[in-house]
Amino acid sequence: MGAVVSKGFLLFAQNTDDVNYIEQAYALALSIKISQSDIKSVSLMTNCKVPNKYSKVFDQIVPIPWTTDTTTVLAGEHRWKLYHATPYEETIVLDTDMLLLEDISVWWDYCGHYDFKFCSRIKNYKQDVVNDTYHRKAFITNKLTNPYYALHYFKKRPQSLEFYKVLEFVCNNWQWCYDKFAPNEYQDWLSMDLAAAIAIEISGTHEQAVDAVSPLEFIHMKTPIQGWIPIPVSWQDTVPFVLNTQGDLIVGNIKQTKLFHYVEKNFISKHILTKLENLANGT
Amino acid sequence: MTTGAILFAQNNSTVDYIKLAVFAASRVIDHLNIPVSIITDNQQWLIDHYPNHPFDQIIEIALDTSPQQKYFHDGTLASHKLDWKNKSRSSVYDLTPYDRTLVIDSDYIISSAILKTALINEHDFQIYSRSFDLASWRTTLEFSRINQYSIPFYWATVFIFNKNSITQCFFDLIAYIRHNWLYFRNLYSIESYVFRNDFAFSIAIHIMNGKTNGEFAVELPGTMGYSIDKDILVDIVNDKIHILLEKQNHPGEYILSKTQGIDLHVMNKLSLSRFIDGGRGV
Repeated sequence: MGAVVSKGFLLFAQNTDDVNYIEQAYALALSIKISQSDIKSVSLMTNCKVPNKYSKVFDQIVPIPWTTDTTTVLAGEHRWKLYHATPYEETIVLDTDMLLLEDISVWWDYCGHYDFKFCSRIKNYKQDVVNDTYHRKAFITNKLTNPYYALHYFKKRPQSLEFYKVLEFVCNNWQWCYDKFAPNEYQDWLSMDLAAAIAIEISGTHEQAVDAVSPLEFIHMKTPIQGWIPIPVSWQDTVPFVLNTQGDLIVGNIKQTKLFHYVEKNFISKHILTKLENLANGT
Repeated sequence: MTTGAILFAQNNSTVDYIKLAVFAASRVIDHLNIPVSIITDNQQWLIDHYPNHPFDQIIEIALDTSPQQKYFHDGTLASHKLDWKNKSRSSVYDLTPYDRTLVIDSDYIISSAILKTALINEHDFQIYSRSFDLASWRTTLEFSRINQYSIPFYWATVFIFNKNSITQCFFDLIAYIRHNWLYFRNLYSIESYVFRNDFAFSIAIHIMNGKTNGEFAVELPGTMGYSIDKDILVDIVNDKIHILLEKQNHPGEYILSKTQGIDLHVMNKLSLSRFIDGGRGV
């Protein structure tokens, strides 16, 4: 492990047969380098081989600790380990299928007052705040909080460690926990969002973990929450989009702000990657 | 700083917009107590037919020789395809004699003093995006966004602006959008071929906001009420307006509704015209 840096972004990527998550992480890391004014350090937690071209953009590449032979599609059994693997005192965790489009220094300032903080507010590409009743039935019917693991913050503190220990327990015993805490609208896979909500419930850290005035938010591109009737399969087939030479991502003629969760894995095309590389290189 | 209102009035073969403007202007003077000027392509018609008009200034513009056409409904069962001369709205920046200008459509009936607060604040550009339909059963989605894939909808029916370099850019932009309407309607997936100021204003506001949520356009106070042209105005008495609202699933049948002390966009200009002529719009 390299030198300790006080603040940075941590990504988790483990390639599957279908998806090159390392490439997604590379694109996200480029977008961080392009958009952030102050905190630009990005590290990657992976056991995959990272191509030289990609590895240069990461400040550190750390292995997944305590690896087992079994890996599920979403690799949920590894995601609780982020706390233990991070090289930072303060960490913002991002899902790899995201792009950071604007400076989010104020997020660090806000989150610095807490031990950990989850995003609990999402928007669609129209910039409307979305109350996602489509995907979040289990959260609503079981009266759980609404955290998004795709964007969260923690600092190295005993209370954060306690929370991640609870999260570890939930991840390793998710069927039992779902039966106890989320029996309605039962989800038969390990969802980190639901696991985090249950961990918040068990640890009683509701006010610590989520709050209505937190600046953490992202644009979520799942099609059912875009306000379209009928709901299309792909947003990329529904609205025009372009990443321009200034680094502005325009979707449906609307400039996307802050953090963009593109969801659809084929969004990172060679064209998009080249644009990001050119922006990062200042060319 | 001078403050006043502007009304546009360009008649077609059936609708006497100048008559509507004379009526609307008297409402502005009664409720807001500001001078009102008219921008029209037929000054002579105004002088000949409404010699006692209330206008502060008459500003004449050239006749639109290639107007668009659209259907003007008169209740649910009647409609007329008529000229629709709506291309001169962006010229208001150059034509207005006032430093701060309230612009309203000639079918916008002021019945309150709610806009007074907007006439004395500091904002450079104010407009409505929020609105409500008097007939609550009708969908209002088309007045929420210009379509479900695109940007927020703003009403060009009523707005207030200060003259400065920023608002000049805005009106120049509207003129640019109008001149390149085919391009912009494709870009923003607008189905209608007809140029509509509401769409042009919505696009221009979006661009002025940096193509995202911004602060260029400030919401006017309250919520803009409207009745569509499938409703029929009955009468206007002081601040009370009686309207027959189209009944759901029963074309040709109506429900009587009354508003009081509410500014209202009465889109059925034919019934409004009949009311002004004879005291009844039905």
